[in-house]
Amino acid sequence: MLKTALLATVAVLTISGGAMAQQTIRVGHLADQSGATSDVGVPFGQGVADALAYLNKQGGVNGVQMAVETVDYGYQAPRAISQYKSWSAGAGKVAAIQGWGTADTEALTGFVSKDEIPYYSGSYSGHLTDPAGKGTHGSKPSPYNFFYGPSYSDALRAMLLWAADDWKAKGGSGKPKYVHMGANHPYPNAPKEAGEALAKELGFEVLPAVQFALTPGDYTAQCLTLKQSGANYAYLGNTAGSNISVLKACQTVGASVQFLGNVWGMDENAAKAAGTAANGVVFPVRTASIWGGDTPGMKTVKEISKISDAAGTAYRPVHYVAGICSAFYMKEAMDWAVKNGGVTGPNIRKGMYQKKDWVPAGLDSVCVPSTWTDADHRATTQVNLYRAQVKGDTGASVEELVKSGAIKLEKIATVDVPRKPEWLGW
Amino acid sequence: MDTGLLLQLLINGLIVGALYGVVAMSFVLIYKASRIVNFAQGEFLLIGAWTCWWLLTSWQLPFWIGFPITLVFMLIFGIVLQIVVLRPMIGEPIISVIMVTIGLSIVFQALMKWMFGVFAKPFPPIFASPTMNVFGLDVQTVYVVSLVISLLIMAGFGWFFKYSRMGLAMRATAFDQQVAQSLGISVRQMFAMSWAISAMVSAVAGVVVGVVNGVSSALSFFGIKVFPAVILGGLDSIVGAVLGGLIVGLLENVAHYVDSQWLNWGNMYEIAPFYVLIVILMIKPYGLFGTKDIERV
Amino acid sequence: MATTTIIPCGDFKTTYAADTTIFPTVTSRNVAIASVLLLLVLPAFLDRFWLNQLIQIGYLGIAALGLNILVGFTGQISIGHAAFFGFGAFASAWLNNRWGIPVWAAIPLAGLMTTAVGMIFGVPAARLKGLYLAIATLAAQYILQDFFARADWFTGGVAGTIAMPLEIFGFAFDTDASYFYVVLFYTVIMYVLATNLMRSRDGRALVAVRDHYLSAEIMGINLTKYRTMAFGISAFYAGIGGALYAHYLQFVSVEGFTILFSIQFLGMIIIGGLGSIMGSLMGTAFMVLLPELMQWITLSLSGTAIDQALNLREAIAFLREMAIGIVIILFLVFEPDGLAHRWKQIKAYWKLYPFSH
Repeated sequence: MLKTALLATVAVLTISGGAMAQQTIRVGHLADQSGATSDVGVPFGQGVADALAYLNKQGGVNGVQMAVETVDYGYQAPRAISQYKSWSAGAGKVAAIQGWGTADTEALTGFVSKDEIPYYSGSYSGHLTDPAGKGTHGSKPSPYNFFYGPSYSDALRAMLLWAADDWKAKGGSGKPKYVHMGANHPYPNAPKEAGEALAKELGFEVLPAVQFALTPGDYTAQCLTLKQSGANYAYLGNTAGSNISVLKACQTVGASVQFLGNVWGMDENAAKAAGTAANGVVFPVRTASIWGGDTPGMKTVKEISKISDAAGTAYRPVHYVAGICSAFYMKEAMDWAVKNGGVTGPNIRKGMYQKKDWVPAGLDSVCVPSTWTDADHRATTQVNLYRAQVKGDTGASVEELVKSGAIKLEKIATVDVPRKPEWLGW
Repeated sequence: MDTGLLLQLLINGLIVGALYGVVAMSFVLIYKASRIVNFAQGEFLLIGAWTCWWLLTSWQLPFWIGFPITLVFMLIFGIVLQIVVLRPMIGEPIISVIMVTIGLSIVFQALMKWMFGVFAKPFPPIFASPTMNVFGLDVQTVYVVSLVISLLIMAGFGWFFKYSRMGLAMRATAFDQQVAQSLGISVRQMFAMSWAISAMVSAVAGVVVGVVNGVSSALSFFGIKVFPAVILGGLDSIVGAVLGGLIVGLLENVAHYVDSQWLNWGNMYEIAPFYVLIVILMIKPYGLFGTKDIERV
Repeated sequence: MATTTIIPCGDFKTTYAADTTIFPTVTSRNVAIASVLLLLVLPAFLDRFWLNQLIQIGYLGIAALGLNILVGFTGQISIGHAAFFGFGAFASAWLNNRWGIPVWAAIPLAGLMTTAVGMIFGVPAARLKGLYLAIATLAAQYILQDFFARADWFTGGVAGTIAMPLEIFGFAFDTDASYFYVVLFYTVIMYVLATNLMRSRDGRALVAVRDHYLSAEIMGINLTKYRTMAFGISAFYAGIGGALYAHYLQFVSVEGFTILFSIQFLGMIIIGGLGSIMGSLMGTAFMVLLPELMQWITLSLSGTAIDQALNLREAIAFLREMAIGIVIILFLVFEPDGLAHRWKQIKAYWKLYPFSH
C-alpha cells in the first residue's frame, strides 16, 4: 500500500516537474562528487555550479535564466551516457552540457555532434581537439567538444620540452630516461602515445609504462620498479588522490625522480596531503593566476566563491578557478548566440568562434586568452609550468600553510608548444 | 635477472603478507567459531582506521591513548554487530549468511565515505623517524612495527587457543556446538567473543595500513585479498591463514616483478592472486591445508 | 524454499498434461495475458523516465531470472553474474561491429556465446561446494573484469565500445518507446521458457540437486551434468540481458560490470524470493525503483533540518549504496523467503478472508 502511494507521488512529482519549465535555458552539468576522481571533481564542479549561479544572479543570458541540473555520476561512464540520453531529446533537451570525465566525453563525441549539443568537458584529452576529423592520427570528428585549457597531450609536450632543457641545465650526460605512469584508463592514457613519441624525438630513452590505479593504495612495488629502472622523468597521469600515494611511497623507497604531473595531478590540497613528498613536482596550471593572487579577475572569482561560501573563508584550489572559466566561456557563447539567431546548439558552437585571444568579461589575468576555430579546438598551446614547493610539517590548514610559505606554487616556465597540424587530435 | 629488485620486492611482500596474514587470521577465527563467512572483514579494517584517525585528529589525542580507545570501540562494535545482525541468521542457509555480510560490507563502505569523505586522509606523524633500514631496503617504521605486532598477535593467538580457558572453550564450540553447550559453555558468548577479537585484530591491521598510506576506502580491498589467502591456507586453519597471507603477499610482488621485467601487462600485482586461487581450487577443491568434507549418506 | 500454494476448491486435474500446465488455473493465465496486453499499450501514456525504468526492469529481470535458476533452483552460488552480463553485452556489440551481423540476430548469438563461457566456468564449478564455489565465482568476476579491460580486440579496452541500435528493415528501435517493445518481447519469451524448463524433467532434476544432492545422485541424476547445465542456462539469460542492455544504451564499457553489480543481482533474487520465477521480476522491480525512491526522499528532505544535519544532498550516491545494503539485510532478517512469499501470503489471506487459516 505504502509503496503504491510512494510510487504514485513520485510519478506526480515527475510530471509536474516537467510542466513548470518556462522561459529558461536548460544546461546539463555532470560532476564526479563521489567516484574515483572526486578529489578534483568536487572543486571543479563547485566552480562551475557557483559560476553559473553567479551569472544567473547577474541577469543570466540576456535576461533569461539558465536552469542548471547538476548530476553526480560517480565517474562511471555508463551512468553518464544514461544521463545524457535524458538530456538529449524531447522536453528535457539541454542547450549545452558542462561535462567531466575523459571516458564518457570521448564516448559521447558522436552522440553530441549528432544531437548538436555543445559539450564543455573537464577532460582535456587531445582526441577532443579535432572538429573536422582531419587529424593524421585517426581522431574522430568532434565539432561540438570544447574545453578550456591546454590539452593533456600539449601539457605533456610542454613538460617534456622543459625537461629536455632541464636535463642539459643539470649537466646530465647521455640519454635521460622517461616513463609514463598512470592507470589503464582513457584519462591517463590520453597523452601516453603523444608523450612517448615526442620524448623519443627529443632524445629521451622511453621506458615501459608503469601502471597504478586511480584509487589511493600501496604502490611500493611500483616505486621499487621505478627506482630500479633509473628513470629520470616520470609523468603521473592520474588525479591527485592516487598520485599522493605514489609520491609518498617513492619518497620512502628513495626513488629520486623528477615527477611531471598533469593538470589534475597536483594542487594545494594534494601538496598538503603528500607533505614533503610533493616537493619539486612540476605541473601545468590552466589559469594565469591562482587563489589569493592580486589581480582584477581574482576579485570576480572571490565574488563567485561567496555563492557557496558566504563567510568567504574557504580556500579555493586551482581547479575551482578553472571551472569558473569553463562556465564563463559557455555563457558568453550563449550571449553571442542570442544576438545571432537564438540559443540553439549550432549557434552556441558558432559563438565559440567569435573572438581570438578571448578572455571572458571580469576575468582578466585569470583565464588565459583562448582561441577556438572551426578547424582547431586547441584553445591554447601556451602552457604555464609551476613547481610545488613544500617544506616541513603540513598539519595545518591549507590557508595557513600557503600564508606561512610552507606550501608554495612557484612558476618556473611558460612553454609555447608549436601548434603543429600533425598534432591535431592527438 | 635483477636480483636486487627481486629481493627488495620479496621483503616488501613478506611485510605486506604479514598484514594479510593477520586479517586472514581474524577471518578464519570467525569462520571456525561461528561458521559464518565474513565478507565485511575489510570494512573492519576501514572502521578501525577511521576511528583511530578521527580520535587522533579531531580530539588531538596522542597515539598511545587513541589506539587503545579504538580497540575498545572495535570490541564493543564486534559484539553489537554479532548480536544485532548475525544472531537472527543462525540456522539460515549459507547463501543468506553470505548475503548478510555482503550487505553489511556495502553499508559500512558507504557509511564511511559519507562520514569521512572520499579523499585519502593521512595520519598525523606517530614515530620520530618515519623510515628504517632493513637489509638495504628503506622500510617505513610502522611496517617493521607491524611485523613485530603481527608476530606477537600470532603468538598470542597460539597461546590463547592452547592454554587459556576462553580459547579452549572457543575451540570446543567450533568443533561441536551441541557437546560444548552440554558442558556448560555459553555458545552465544563464544560467538560474540570471536567477533569481538576478530574486529579488534582487524582494526590493528587497519591502523597500520592507514598510517602508511593514509586512510581511504582502498582499505576494504584487504577484505577481498583475504579470500585467496584462506583458500591457499585452508578455511579452518589459523596457521594456514597466516601462511596463506604470506604467500599472497609474496605472490603479488613476484608477479609484479615478472610483469615489470618481461610481460609489461601492468596489473599482475592485483590480479595474480585470483588466477592462482582458481588454479588451486581446480586441483585441490578444499585449499592447500583445508580438511576435506567427508560426506556420509 | 518452494512454498505450497492454496489449491482452490474444485480445482482438480484428471490428466498429467493438465497437471503440468504453466499456469495453475485459467484465471491466472488470463491475468497474465491481460497484463501483457496492458503493457503493450503503456508507451502511449508513460513518459521517458518510466519507460526507462520498465526497460531496465526488463533486461535486468531476464538476467536475474538466470541467476535465480542457478541459485534458487539448483542451489549453487554465483557472485560473478555481472561478468556474464557484461560478456553478453560486449559479445553482441562485437558481433555487430566486427562481423556485421544484424543486431536482431546478434542478441541471441551473444546469449549462446555467453552460454559457452558459462559452461567453461561451470565444469570446474561442479566440483566445488558452498563457500569455495562462492569464492571461485568471486575470483571469476575479477578475472573477467580484468579480461574486459585488456582485450582491446573484443571490448575496446578501457575506452569501451559503441553498440548500434536494433534495426529491422531500416526501422531503428532507438527511442525508449520503440525499444520497450523489444524488451517486452524478450522478457515474455524468456520467462515463459524458464517456467517451461521448471515443469520439465530437467527442471525437476535441478530442484532435486538443490534439495538433497546425494539422494539425487543415487536416483541417477548426473550431478556434474546438471550443475554445468545450470551455469550454462544462467549464463544464457545473463547474455541476453546484457545484449539488450548494450543496444539500449548504445555504449558498453567495462566500468559498468563491477562486483557491486553482481551483488545487486543477488539482492534482486533474494528480495524477490529464491526459487520463484515471479519473484525474480518482483525483486528486480524493487531494486530498480529503490534508487529513485532514495532520490525522492532526499529531494523532499532537502532544505529541512535533517538535510543540514546530515548533509544529505552531497551524499545521495552513498545513500543509494547504503540503501541497497540495508535493504538486503532487512529482507534477509525479516523476510528470508522474499517478496514472492509475502505476495502468496497476501493472496492466501484474501482467499480465506474472514477466516484466518
